[in-house]
Amino acid sequence: MAQLANIGELLSMLDSSTLGVRDDVTAIFKESLNSERGPMLVNTLVDYYLETNSQPVLHILTTLQEPHDKHLLDKINEYVGKAATRLSILSLLGHVVRLQPSWKHKLSQAPLLPSLLKCLKMDTDVVVLTTGVLVLITMLPMIPQSGKQHLLDFFDIFGRLSSWCLKKPGHVTEVYLVHLHASVYALFHRLYGMYPCNFVSFLRSHYSMKENVETFEEVVKPMMEHVRIHPELVTGSKDHELDPRRWKTLETHDVVIECAKISLDPTEASYEDGYSVSHQLSACFPYRSADVTTSPYVDTQNSYGGSTSTPSSSSRLMLFSPPGQLPQSLSSPSTRLLPEPLQASLWSPSAVCGMTTPPTSPGNVPADLSHPYSKAFGTTAGGKGTPSGTPATSPPPAPPCPQDDCVHGSAAQASATAPRKEERADSSRPYLHRQSNDRGLEDPPGSKGSVTLRNLPDFLGDLASEEDSIEKDKEEAAISKELSEITTAEADPVVPRGGFDSPFYRDSLSGSQRKTHSAASGTQGSSVNPEPLHSSLDKHGPDTPKQAFTPIDPPSGSADVSPAGDRDRQTSLETSILTPSPCKIPPQRGVSFGSGQLPPYDHLFEVALPKTACHFVSKKTEELLKKVKGNPEEDCVPSTSPMEVLDRLIEQGAGAHSKELSRLSLPSKSVDWTHFGGSPPSDELRTLRDQLLLLHNQLLYERFKRQQHALRNRRLLRKVIRAAALEEHNAAMKDQLKLQEKDIQMWKVSLQKEQARYSQLQEQRDTMVTQLHSQIRQLQHDREEFYNQSQELQTKLEDCRNMIAELRVELKKANNKVCHTELLLSQVSQKLSNSESVQQQMEFLNRQLLVLGEVNELYLEQLQSKHPDTTKEVEMMKTAYRKELEKNRSHLLQQNQRLDASQRRVLELESLLAKKDHLLLEQKKYLEDVKSQASGQLLAAESRYEAQRKITRVLELEILDLYGRLEKDGRLRKLEEDRAEAAEAAEERLDCCSDGCTDSLVGHNEEASGHNGETRTSRPGGTRASCGGRVTGGSSSSSSELSTPEKPPSQRFSSRWEPALGEPSSSIPTTVGSLPSSKSFLGMKARELFRNKSESQCDEDSVTMSSSSLSETLKTELGKDSGTENKTSLSLDAPHPSSPNSDNVGQLHIMDYNETHPEHS
Amino acid sequence: MTDDSQRNFRSVYYEKVGFRGVEEKKSLEILLKDDRLDIEKLCTFSQRFPLPSMYRALVWKALLGILPPHHDTHSQVMAYRKDQYHDILHALTVVRFISDATPQAEVYLRMYQLESGKLPRSPSFPLEPEDEVFLAIAKAMEEMVEDSVDCYWISRCFVKQLNNKYRDALPQLPKAFEQYLNLEDSRLLSHLKTCSAVSKLPYDLWFQRCFAGCLPESSLQRVWDKVVSGSCKILVFVAVEILLTFKIKVMALNSAEKITKFLENIPQDSSDAIVSKAIDLWHKHCGTPVHSA
Repeated sequence: MAQLANIGELLSMLDSSTLGVRDDVTAIFKESLNSERGPMLVNTLVDYYLETNSQPVLHILTTLQEPHDKHLLDKINEYVGKAATRLSILSLLGHVVRLQPSWKHKLSQAPLLPSLLKCLKMDTDVVVLTTGVLVLITMLPMIPQSGKQHLLDFFDIFGRLSSWCLKKPGHVTEVYLVHLHASVYALFHRLYGMYPCNFVSFLRSHYSMKENVETFEEVVKPMMEHVRIHPELVTGSKDHELDPRRWKTLETHDVVIECAKISLDPTEASYEDGYSVSHQLSACFPYRSADVTTSPYVDTQNSYGGSTSTPSSSSRLMLFSPPGQLPQSLSSPSTRLLPEPLQASLWSPSAVCGMTTPPTSPGNVPADLSHPYSKAFGTTAGGKGTPSGTPATSPPPAPPCPQDDCVHGSAAQASATAPRKEERADSSRPYLHRQSNDRGLEDPPGSKGSVTLRNLPDFLGDLASEEDSIEKDKEEAAISKELSEITTAEADPVVPRGGFDSPFYRDSLSGSQRKTHSAASGTQGSSVNPEPLHSSLDKHGPDTPKQAFTPIDPPSGSADVSPAGDRDRQTSLETSILTPSPCKIPPQRGVSFGSGQLPPYDHLFEVALPKTACHFVSKKTEELLKKVKGNPEEDCVPSTSPMEVLDRLIEQGAGAHSKELSRLSLPSKSVDWTHFGGSPPSDELRTLRDQLLLLHNQLLYERFKRQQHALRNRRLLRKVIRAAALEEHNAAMKDQLKLQEKDIQMWKVSLQKEQARYSQLQEQRDTMVTQLHSQIRQLQHDREEFYNQSQELQTKLEDCRNMIAELRVELKKANNKVCHTELLLSQVSQKLSNSESVQQQMEFLNRQLLVLGEVNELYLEQLQSKHPDTTKEVEMMKTAYRKELEKNRSHLLQQNQRLDASQRRVLELESLLAKKDHLLLEQKKYLEDVKSQASGQLLAAESRYEAQRKITRVLELEILDLYGRLEKDGRLRKLEEDRAEAAEAAEERLDCCSDGCTDSLVGHNEEASGHNGETRTSRPGGTRASCGGRVTGGSSSSSSELSTPEKPPSQRFSSRWEPALGEPSSSIPTTVGSLPSSKSFLGMKARELFRNKSESQCDEDSVTMSSSSLSETLKTELGKDSGTENKTSLSLDAPHPSSPNSDNVGQLHIMDYNETHPEHS
Repeated sequence: MTDDSQRNFRSVYYEKVGFRGVEEKKSLEILLKDDRLDIEKLCTFSQRFPLPSMYRALVWKALLGILPPHHDTHSQVMAYRKDQYHDILHALTVVRFISDATPQAEVYLRMYQLESGKLPRSPSFPLEPEDEVFLAIAKAMEEMVEDSVDCYWISRCFVKQLNNKYRDALPQLPKAFEQYLNLEDSRLLSHLKTCSAVSKLPYDLWFQRCFAGCLPESSLQRVWDKVVSGSCKILVFVAVEILLTFKIKVMALNSAEKITKFLENIPQDSSDAIVSKAIDLWHKHCGTPVHSA
């Protein structure tokens, strides 16, 4: 509780007059708010504020931080529910909301909003409603997404209030209704701007109802005339509008501007697209220039205004300027920079024309632009004394407004100034011209600008033919008209129904408006309301800027006034509305009073303005032009203090006014309400207070809007700065480019130079080269010549050498010859000596010869005389010798011939011998062959013979066997037959004996012993061989023993096998006897043959050894044998033995030949 | 060799490539054209090359001395031989040793016996071992030579040659056999020795009969070419080759009797290869016979 008490004390201390205490207490409160989280303190503060309406508390409450917002909202919500505190709490809420606390987004969720809406729907108090609606309008851009839930509520409120405007439930003062209407109008704009589709559909549904049709016609339709078709109506949808995403990117001021964009109402509309307002501004310019130029120059008459004006213009261009003269270099870029934006902003509808007039515009612009600012400065600087500059110093359209508002009080002054202005309008124009001319030396475009400004209409409009002067006159006339109109309009309340048409017109306008309000049905036809008028003017504007100078200036002036700002419009509206009202004058007075107190505030503007203006002015003109409208608001933006000051000021003004009212103005009051027949004075007082409150609210709302605009402007400013910087950069780049181009050109030039030099050099070089070539050629030629010469010389040299060599050779030869000759000489000399000696000898010999010859002759003589007879003997002997010699010679010849013959014979014989030898060899060879043949045959024959023998032996054996068997069988029979057989056997034995005897005789004769031996050896085995041996070798007696048994079978055999036995019988003896002989014979033959070959002596020996008788016997025997053999063979088989025999004979013959041959040889 | 110029010059290449006996026939004809047959050359030829069958009988007769070297006397000599053959045949028929039914080989045997004077008293007397040898050879010869006179003469002279010329060489052959077998395959020999079959091998069949009855005549005559031409060592190599060829079987047999029995009845299908290999082996060990002249 102590704390509470403490708080109470502190709260009371807050309102103390001491500034330091107040600040301390504020700081304490803020600290405690930071430390404490409970609702206590906030509640206390709110209560206290409601009680005292204390400004510091309000300040504290509006700057509440996050945790306390809920308490505050709760508290407000609580108080909103109570009708008594509703108004004040709503104003508090408005204050809070307008400051856009960081927790503004919570508003949509807070219970406050529905309760507020509910209040707006239910409440019947116009003041509360207006305040609430304004608060709501302020809040709407902050919580756009909440529209989803409360959209219908908003629309309901709109419907209710719009109908309220018309129906006036209860007895509501018309004055209030105006406020209400304005707020409803604002609400209309906001809703249409934010939720066009929903809103339009709501309008459609709501005003399709019959009971609402009237409201629509009267209230809503005029409103709709001030809006364009929202683009969202085409592209968007109901759902899309409510989509939170749509709002997410937009800030509060964005939303506000969005709403302003669709407005056609110049008071509401945003000029960002530079659509409708710009031309009005341009239209205003002349006035402004006129006004502005006049005011500084007239009032101050010093160069300060001019100097300030120039800096301002220059500063706008270059962000800074020296206070003195405008440098040419600076002014030219400024002029260059300006035209385009100007054209864009001002003349955008007539862009084509604008583009055709680039040279004119530059001069125009600086003049134009410089004027407002010069004026602004001028007014601020020197306008202290002048009432015209005070209320809204900055805007060009402002002057009329303050005049409207303020000059009422000082009508005389105003009227005094007006003529002065008029005069100035005339005088100042030339002066301006003068000045511009003066400046024209420095700044020709400037002077041109004024002219071109006037020329612009020529390009644009219909009055192209008109003279400059005429235009000027017209313009001046228009200005003067307007000024006078304004002054009269302002003076109008003071002197009602006086003077010009325009006041009447204005009056009629206001009257008509009033009529529309008072008697809605009345003057619809003449409802050339200021707004429609404005719009029509707006529409006209772009096409015919000339209209600004046409006699329809008053409307244009009003149109001019309208862009000056909402407040202006509001005030104008107010004034227009208020003028007819009985209590119009007092507030105006109040205002005039206020105006009297304005200077400090004005001073603040002065402080605030340069900053913004400097930034501002330095940026694009377009923006500047827009801000011309926004300027008044922006003046206050930089700091909140002027606002507070203003608020306080109004409140204080209100307080003073009420005091004054209460003090003295009963007659006026009586006059007033007697004049209007309205409410009692107390009521009147309350109404006025309420009006004031409403006015304040409205003002706050407008300020809020202005703030939003300021925010936006700041952002745009940033963009502008950036763009300017970029342009600057661009320009710099262009300069650089130019420089570089210059460089390039320089380089090109130098390149050309270099090329030329190069070509020259090349030519020189070529000539040099050709020269050198020719030189070289010449030198070569020389060289060749020299070469040839040298070659010739060399050949000569060669020749010389050859000659030398030849000469040398010749020399050698000569030397040789010399030597030779010397040698010869020596020889010759020797010979000579020899010959000399020989000569001597010859001489000697000759002498001897002579002597001998003489001797010989002597001897010859002697000889001839001595031997004459010996010659015959010698001759005889000679002949004898000769004959003998011949004989011997012939003998020799003979002998030689014999020798030759014998030699030839010898040769012949030798060849013969050789032939013989050859033949012999051949013969020998042949013999060899034959011998081998014969031996082969012999061998075969021998084997055959052998086989035969074997055969016979076998046969014999067989026979013997058979005999043996026979004997064994027939031994007894033998004995009997012995006798008979004995005789036969004897006979046979005789025959056999005779044969055997001859055989044996022969064999015995030949060589008994040797043959026996041979036979023995040839018969190694076999019983019969021994028998045979015995037969041959033994006596006949022994053979008889053996032969006896043999005889009978042999006889039998012979009888039986006669032809067969013939051969064996004959052959056996031959074999017995002749085998050896034959063999020996053959062997002899062979041996002889061999011996012929090898050694003949052995043969001879053997021949000698064997007795000749033997050989003879052999021969005979052989002959016998052969004969017997021949016989037997002939008898047996003739052909076989014959051929070998013949062969044998042949052999023998050959043998003979062979034998004879050596003998022969 | 004087006849080289007449031979085909390609013969060298034929031999190198491996065709044997392409040019032998021609060269043999050249040899046989000589008026006086060069027995030595014929010997060398038949030792080096297999004889063409059309000239075999002629060459054999020449080599065995049945025909003299001179062509002129051939007809007469052959007439003698024929006479002799017929005479003996006649005599044998007379003494009733043979009849028409008597097999030719036996006829030859009897004739041979007669000629050698060993004719038994009666044809029913048991045959002696040498008669068996003759009989086998004659049987084989009967297949080789068509003419009975030639056959008789050739077999007679063949046997005579065996008995005369190789009388000393034949008993040495078993030893030589062992030696060469040892060189070729000592394991086989040791196996034979372990089986004590070395002494029991059919040496009679191999060396006395010269494989008559052991090898088929077609391959046998090639062996006999060599034998006729004066080399009995070929027999050893044939024997060795037989053992080598049938080594696996012989090794499988363990007893001497079985080995002997097997060797006495060796399969005849591979005899040609055996003979070829044997000749190669012979050439390898004893060198190719070259004409000494």
